[in-house]
Amino acid sequence: MASVASIFALLAVIGFLILSAAKFAKYSKFNQHSRFDLYPVPKEGNGRGEYGGSYMEEDLWWEKPRSINHVAELVDMGKEMFFIRKLFMNQPSLWVPSMLFHGGIYFMMLFSVLLLIAAFVASPVLETITTVVGVIGFCCALLGCLLLLIRRLTDASLAAYTTPIEYFNLILIAAVLITGIISWLSAANVFEVARSIVTFNFAELPGIVVLHLILLGIMMLYIPASKMGHYAGKFFTFHSVLWNNEPNLPGNAVNSAVKASNAAGATVKWSAPHASPAPAPAPEPIAEEA
Amino acid sequence: MSKDTKHLRPRDLGRDVAVLSPTDDLKPLPSTFDASLEPEFKEFKDEWAETYCASLDGFVAIDTLKRPETKEEEEEFVRKFLSGLEKLFQDSNKNAVQPLALNMEFCAKCNTCSEACHIYEESNGDEIYRPSFRVDVLRRIYKKHFTTAGKMLGGFVGADIELNWETIARLAELSYRCNLCRRCAQACPMGLDNGLAAREIRKIFSQEMGIAPKAIHEKGTELQLKVGSTTGMTTPAFVDTAEFIEEDIEERTGRSFKFPMDKEGADVLLIHNAGEFIAWPDNPAAFAILLDEAGVDWTLSSEMCAYDGVNYGAWYDDIQAKKIAAKQFEVAKKLGVKRIVMGECGHAHKAIAVSADRMFAAEDKVPVESFLPLMLTLVREGRLKFDPSKNNFPVTLHDPCNYVRQMGIVQPQREIIRACTTDFREMTPHGVDNYCCGGGSGFAIMNNQNFSDFRNHVSARKKLEQIINAFGEDFENPDVLKYVCAPCSNCKGTIRELLKDYKITAKYNVQYSGLVELMVNALVSMEKPFFEFLEE
Repeated sequence: MASVASIFALLAVIGFLILSAAKFAKYSKFNQHSRFDLYPVPKEGNGRGEYGGSYMEEDLWWEKPRSINHVAELVDMGKEMFFIRKLFMNQPSLWVPSMLFHGGIYFMMLFSVLLLIAAFVASPVLETITTVVGVIGFCCALLGCLLLLIRRLTDASLAAYTTPIEYFNLILIAAVLITGIISWLSAANVFEVARSIVTFNFAELPGIVVLHLILLGIMMLYIPASKMGHYAGKFFTFHSVLWNNEPNLPGNAVNSAVKASNAAGATVKWSAPHASPAPAPAPEPIAEEA
Repeated sequence: MSKDTKHLRPRDLGRDVAVLSPTDDLKPLPSTFDASLEPEFKEFKDEWAETYCASLDGFVAIDTLKRPETKEEEEEFVRKFLSGLEKLFQDSNKNAVQPLALNMEFCAKCNTCSEACHIYEESNGDEIYRPSFRVDVLRRIYKKHFTTAGKMLGGFVGADIELNWETIARLAELSYRCNLCRRCAQACPMGLDNGLAAREIRKIFSQEMGIAPKAIHEKGTELQLKVGSTTGMTTPAFVDTAEFIEEDIEERTGRSFKFPMDKEGADVLLIHNAGEFIAWPDNPAAFAILLDEAGVDWTLSSEMCAYDGVNYGAWYDDIQAKKIAAKQFEVAKKLGVKRIVMGECGHAHKAIAVSADRMFAAEDKVPVESFLPLMLTLVREGRLKFDPSKNNFPVTLHDPCNYVRQMGIVQPQREIIRACTTDFREMTPHGVDNYCCGGGSGFAIMNNQNFSDFRNHVSARKKLEQIINAFGEDFENPDVLKYVCAPCSNCKGTIRELLKDYKITAKYNVQYSGLVELMVNALVSMEKPFFEFLEE
């Protein structure tokens, strides 16, 4: 059973990567769409990104070189990815549990990488660092997860919108974290378990560890298929939609894509009366000869 | 009643009540405004409820959405709605399917968008006005009918809304309780756009079912495509009107000018909202005076759709939007102008410069820019010389959402105002964080049944609050002339109604107009005041 659970957990990690890539691929197919710029767009250069300005503040903008500040864009992305800045700015009371949760997950990801290295490199220092990172990750992620669950259950305005599956998502993550903590604290040496899995040298494992590995595998496969795969969605909402203000100019890539899209047309048509092309005018009646 | 409706759930949209969420609990206006001046709501007529959908909040936005007379009609209505919803996710909607699909899948249900919405705020938190409410209804219907999870797991994944005429009609009405200002999207931690999604709901009804408010479809885009302008003004009428304005302004101000018409090869084709020629003729006249004084090579067009820059399709229908933009580019190409410059109309800016940018190959278009950077260039180059003391009164600026938040044109108007006035006072907040005037997305021109009450009491309430607060203690003093600069026809129309209905001009001496009028009034070369209220 231990070997089955171990192999399942390993395959689930690979599955996570494949399914996540598939999610990116799914949304990439829809990349050619209208412009929906929304400012501030942080990449706008000449200081405009800071106050929400754009190249359209310039007279004859299409004749001038565009100033794009990639550093500002990266900084803004980083703030959003790692610190959920918009939530902090607009709803700080929800930011606290959300930041604990997401921060905890980032630590857990780092913990996983360190654990992988530690499986091959025996180093007390590395093991100490890994342990510290893991403890922070488990504690923050679990605390954040439980606080989010409580908030959703007790805040009527959130509960009104929360579906059973959204509670299930949080409960699944909490179950993975709780079984992980119990396993680590009471049943197994985390470094030995990791080493046995990645070297395919499967040892017998306590039941709680087996349960943890199975839940972990289910979660890894489930995340990209659920709305918890929003790490993929968020890339598109910002980069492809709100920050995509590339104009359609002769010779550029947007123009090529527009031409291709217009040439392809649509296979499905709208049905309202005004949606159909106006019928060609009836030919003039041929006057009958007297 | 209002407290009960603060906690509706999306699946309550079909609840069997006469009015789901009456609008009876609005936020008070600032204390410097005499609350007794707030106008009364129109008396509700029972025939509205019998004919249309007035069961959402007691207002009627869509005067073509009529109750079915038979069960078969209702079933056909539901079928068509689902057909339209499905088409939003097919290649019939490839210009918007990505942001919509992202919204359907990834909303975290955190409600962070709510506090950004002026309508939700001013209704003191009526649940139906949350930006996420209408979109969650759509999401639940979409899941139930078009996703495997929804079909298999039903309510467990939120696929739990039953469809009938009342539910769908309320959703249609709800899509017209959003100004499409997209302030909510700025706040969303996921980057999801509930404003855009509200417009997608409108598209189902218009593009699939042929249902849209008459003011924006039948008397809007259809009329524009038929006669050339949503005002109903034909080409001969437009030319006559322009000549009349030339004479009238010269008589009043002593300043003579001519509107250049259909000048081939001009540098600039200036396109106005044609409503300006009828409701605010000072505005196109001011443009003419400024461009003449600066020596710009410019022209107007008397061709269909190009003497009226509006494109109401931007609010509800991609098909109509594309038809109108195509005509406007066609005229510009035919005239051989170097660029199209949009006058003071926010949605017309966005429609042709942004929304239409990827509708056509670049070779079939003419570059488009806002009047603001052009005017700023003329000011910076000293081609327009101002005496700011001619505008020696407090001026506040309304930022039209369409070209500020949605095009990033923020600073030029401020630099111009600072150059031609002496007492500029920003609203709070302003720039890309501004609030909509409340007339956005068609509300400014929708006056059917009692819908103007929704605009004047609810959606425009935040702007009224901002105007009052911008002038601080001076607001209450009628001896101090105050000016609201609203450089957008729809915003100006909304603010005009507010100042009139709430008696703010009469009691507090708050005037309004655009930006170019302020500029002309400050021109050193003007011998008389340009504003009529200064003549008095």
